[in-house]
Order: sequence, then C-alpha cells, then structure tokens
Amino acid sequence: MTGVDPRLHVTLPGLTMKNPVMPASGCFAFGREYAELFDLSKLGAVAIKGTTGAARLGNPTPRVAETPSGMLNAIGLQNPGAQAVRDEELPFLEGYDVPVLANVSGSTPEEYVHVVKTLTTAPNVGAFELNISCPNVKEGGIQFGTDPEAAAALTTAVKAVSTKPVYVKLSPNVTDVTAIALAVEAAGADGLTLINTLVGMRIDASTGKPVLANEKGGLSGPAVKPVALRMIHDVRQVTGLPIIGMGGIQSAEDVIEFLFAGADAVAVGTANFSNPFVCPTIIRELPAWLDQLGLESIGAFREQGANI
Amino acid sequence: MKNEQMTVRENKTIAEKTYEMTLSGPLVEHLVNPGTFLHVAVPGDDLVLRRPISIAAVDQDAGTCTIVYKEEGEGTKRLSRCRAGDSVDVFGPLGKQGFPAEQPSPGDDVLIIGGGVGVPPLYYTARELAKRDVSVSVILGFQTATAVFYEQAFRELPDADVRVMTDDGSNGHAGTVIDALNERPSPPDWLFACGPRGMLRAIEAHAAHSKTNGYVSLEERMGCGIGACFACVCETGDHTSYRKICRDGPVFRFKEVVL
Ligand SMILES: Cc1cc2nc3c(=O)[nH]c(=O)nc-3n(C[C@H](O)[C@H](O)[C@H](O)COP(=O)(O)OP(=O)(O)OC[C@H]3O[C@@H](n4cnc5c(N)ncnc54)[C@H](O)[C@@H]3O)c2cc1C
Ligand SMILES: Cc1cc2nc3c(=O)[nH]c(=O)nc-3n(C[C@H](O)[C@H](O)[C@H](O)COP(=O)(O)O)c2cc1C
Ligand code: FES
Repeated sequence: MTGVDPRLHVTLPGLTMKNPVMPASGCFAFGREYAELFDLSKLGAVAIKGTTGAARLGNPTPRVAETPSGMLNAIGLQNPGAQAVRDEELPFLEGYDVPVLANVSGSTPEEYVHVVKTLTTAPNVGAFELNISCPNVKEGGIQFGTDPEAAAALTTAVKAVSTKPVYVKLSPNVTDVTAIALAVEAAGADGLTLINTLVGMRIDASTGKPVLANEKGGLSGPAVKPVALRMIHDVRQVTGLPIIGMGGIQSAEDVIEFLFAGADAVAVGTANFSNPFVCPTIIRELPAWLDQLGLESIGAFREQGANI
Repeated sequence: MKNEQMTVRENKTIAEKTYEMTLSGPLVEHLVNPGTFLHVAVPGDDLVLRRPISIAAVDQDAGTCTIVYKEEGEGTKRLSRCRAGDSVDVFGPLGKQGFPAEQPSPGDDVLIIGGGVGVPPLYYTARELAKRDVSVSVILGFQTATAVFYEQAFRELPDADVRVMTDDGSNGHAGTVIDALNERPSPPDWLFACGPRGMLRAIEAHAAHSKTNGYVSLEERMGCGIGACFACVCETGDHTSYRKICRDGPVFRFKEVVL
C-alpha cells in the first residue's frame, strides 16, 4: 500500500500497527461513519465503542455539553450488545486492513467475561481494552477502576477466557493511578490504556439545573491533556507494560508529547468531532516530527530512552 | 460530506439577534437536499464542538449557500462577528433524511410551519418546491415582531400563501402556529415543520391525519454530527429502538420517533 512509512510501525501485544494512531473508544462507533470519509486501513488500529453483554439504549438526552477546551459526555454506553457487535459490526471492519481493539464494559465481572468470550473469536479483534470505569453494581457502586483489588480480580477473570491480549483502561478518577496499574499488571494485563474521562458537571446558570440529563458526565478533550500526560508519565515510571495514551490529543505535536511521556501508541477521541479527518492528518504529519527530532522510528522513543 | 474552509461573502443582521451568513466554496455543489445541515466550527480553539446549522438557501449558479442563525451563546456570538472575506470551517452536508421536496406534485396542498430559527430549512424546502411548480401555504411563528425574518422572502415565492403569527400580536396575527393550523378547513397532503420541540409535538398531535404526509425536523446537542458518538439519539415511535438525529434525520416522518 502506498503512503505507509515503515518508521511509523509499532508492534504491541495483539496489535501490529502501521502507525501509532487509533481513534479512541466511543468516538468512532464501529467505523462505518468515518469509513465514508477516509480509508480506515490508514489507521494504526480502531478502538470500537464500549460493548456490553446485552444491548443498551444509554442515557436520556442531552448527552453532551461543552466545557472550556473540552466536553462532557454521558452517552451511557449505548451499544447493540456483544453478539450483535460480533455478527454485524466487526465483519464490516474486516473489510479493512486494520486491527481492532475491542473495548469491553460491564456491571459485573461475569458480564465482562461474557463479552470477551463472545468477541475473542472474531478474527480481526487483536486485543481487548477493559473499560473499568463503570459502576460495579455488585460491589455497591465502587468502580472497578478505583479499587486495585477489584481491578486485578477482573483482569484475572478476563485473562482466563481471552485468547487475545488484554489491555486495561485506567480511570483518572483516582488518587494514585500507579497503584491500579501495578495491580492489573500483577494480575496479568498485557498493556494499559489511559486516560478515560474525568467525572465532571455543568450547571445552566439561568435555571440552576445540570446541563446533562444524567447530571454528571465524563470530561474529555484538550482540557484533560495535562492530566493524561502526568498520569502516563507516572505509570511509565513504575511499569514496562505497553501504554496506549489518550486524552486531548489533537495534533501530531500532541502525539509526540505523549510518546515522550511514555506512551507506545495513542488514541484520539474528542478531536474526531472537531476535525473528522484528524487521525489521517496526524499520521501524515508524524514523519516530519521524527525528522525534526532526529529519531529513526516511533519505536526509538522507547529504545533510545527518549521517554522522559 | 466534505470538510472545507468556506469564504464568508456576507454576514448581516436580519432580525433581533438573528444573522444571515452567505458562504461560498466547492462544498456548495454537494448541497442538494433541503433539511440537511452544516456542522460549523466556531472561530477559536477553545470551543471543541461544531455547531449544527441548517441550510437556508442554496444558489448553485452563484456558488453560494446561506445559513440563518440566532445568537444563543458563545459559538453563535463568534459566528456573528465574522466579516466578508473571513474563512469558516464547515463540514457537511450532514443528515441522510431531509424534507422530501421532490415528492409533492403541483396542486397538492403543501403546508409549511416554521417556528423561530426553525424557519431556515423550510425556506430552502419551499424554494425547491417552487422550482417544481408546487406552491405552498406557510405559517411562520415568532415571539414578537422584532424576531420576524424571511416573511418577505416567502411571500416572493410564486403563489405562496404566507401567514405570520406572533405570540404578542405585534406582527401578523396574535397567537401560535397551532391557532393558525386549527383554522384550516382540511388536513394538508403534506406538512413540513421545524421549530421548538413543544411546537412540533403539538403539530403532530393536531395534524397526524391519514391523509397527511407529515415531516418534522429535530434538534439535539451533537458531538460528531455523523452518527459515531451516539449523542443525538431519540426513541422510535414504537419505543423499541432509537434513531440518530444527525444521521438518520434530522427530518423524521410523523410518529417515526417520540417527540
Ligand atoms: C440539525 C440542527 C439544525 C439547526 N439549525 C439551526 C439554524 O438553522 N439556525 C439556528 O439558529 N440554530 C440552529 N440549530 C441550533 C443551533 O445548533 C444552536 O443554537 C447552536 O449550536 C448554539 O450554539 P451556541 O454556541 O451559540 O450556544 P451555547 O449554548 O453556548 O452552546 C453550547 C453547546 O450546546 C450546543 N447547543 C446549544 N443549543 C443547541 C441546540 N438547540 N441544538 C443543538 N445543539 C445545541 C452547542 O452546539 C454547543 O455544543 C440547529 C440545531 C440542529 C441540531
Ligand atoms: C462521546 C464519548 C464516548 C466515549 N465512550 C467510551 C466508551 O464506550 N468506552 C471507553 O472506554 N471510553 C469511552 N470514551 C472515552 C475515550 O475513549 C477517551 O478515553 C477519552 O475521551 C479521552 O480522550 P480524548 O480527550 O481524546 O477524547 C468516550 C469518550 C467520548 C467523548
Ligand atoms: S452527533 Fe454523534 S451520533 Fe449524532
């Protein structure tokens, strides 16, 4: 294929990527819409919408609100359910030369296990990404993502049934993200992705009512980038696990910042909404950054100890 | 669907806090379906979401399109400050289902009802109908006289019967578009409406008649504008599924979705 620069190649557990850039989960659905805009084979990978055991209709609207340099969302994990994703959505992506990072959500460990069992046989699923920031109903509202033991137990349960590598997506809504990272590493996680959204809120000053129907939502976009970089940097100090970094990435320059912070690859979320062509644009601009930095490849960030 | 820097040809006030912006660029060639919309990026990096704005008119000969928007918040305020010659980042056209202007036949009773800034996509629709020699009855509803726009533009359409309603009676007749609807002797063959959700709900309740092909255009807060983020959903009429307003709409048949 034309236009593939070998210097951009990144090989991560389960994901052989032409370049380090993928759209983030929840910001790209299952690829169909963006496939009308550009060739999805250009992407390093595709992270699909968070998938649950049964279909979910999600939260009432309004589901998004704008914030300074960011947005809040409370979509509520709307998705057609694991079986429909397996039968109707993943085959569409098979039409492209791109590995899939399957984002898995659930309310109980059993639900995660069910989703992973259902999707693990899909040929194009390269790896799983466990979204552990959902309320854990069984544990009385504690989130898997904020309790190292619950996060580790979930990772162990999923690893037992998955034939594909498992990444755990860390929540920024914690005091010490490294504790969760170390717990899931010990439980067998093959990689980490971070960050998920920060819980936030907006209130309509004219009515005193929350802007989102769900009252609270997840903050994403450029506003969260410094938090993401700090957390990736902190986690990189304690683990050698592969890290897919995300949070506010809008440009190739942002990607370079994440690679310096310790990420091996990146995901782009909210920026797809402001610029639907942002992923291919970033991919096109990365080689010039390697030239400017005098680095031979994306892998050199790790190999040459460029990670700070 | 294209993403393009369009050139502002003109940007002027046409009613209180209401602006009409004319844009040019190759994207115009793709604008063929009334009821579809543009996703407009607001100048300045701090506003990350685009603003969905309906297409109010297209002039293929001149290579221009027109949008009409009301200053509601920071985004539309910044748009209002654009001057001729400035560039605006536009993505579109978005929406797979607009008003079916190609369907009514000359002689059909076609009723158009627009409320406030719901009026613009209906003007585009009425112009497309006029091109096919289909004349329209128009009911425009506004809060007050200073908010009224496009009354004259509609009157200039061939054989258009235009009625303006204001809540306070300061222009046209006093009352709502529903009052005007109720005065009509028989149900129309076609009814195209856009405006506040409450108005659309009332229209559907009053005009859902087996003879009437009714269509309403909906608004919801949007993220992506193309169906990928699930921000802008609404439930289907049978409560079993959902539609995305940005992709499956923004125009829906009566009863297709819960208003
Ligand atoms: C399909 C569609 C077509 C539209 N066509 C027109 C039109 O032709 N003319 C016009 O004046 N308005 C139209 N609107 C409404 C217009 O998008 C909003 O008024 C505008 O986004 C407000 O932006 P703001 O920054 O001024 O307001 P703010 O309140 O500062 O906006 C904050 C956020 O809320 C969103 N938002 C606020 N109100 C709405 C709304 N009613 N619908 C969707 N998102 C909203 C904004 O996009 C932004 O993301 C349309 C909306 C949709 C969905
Ligand atoms: C509309 C929306 C939906 C999202 N849905 C999911 C999801 O289903 N699963 C998940 O793990 N993360 C989800 N996320 C979080 C993103 O994948 C990403 O972690 C976060 O938005 C930070 O990146 P960004 O600032 O580039 O958007 C969602 C984010 C947004 C904005
Ligand atoms: S705005 Fe993203 S699905 Fe409609």
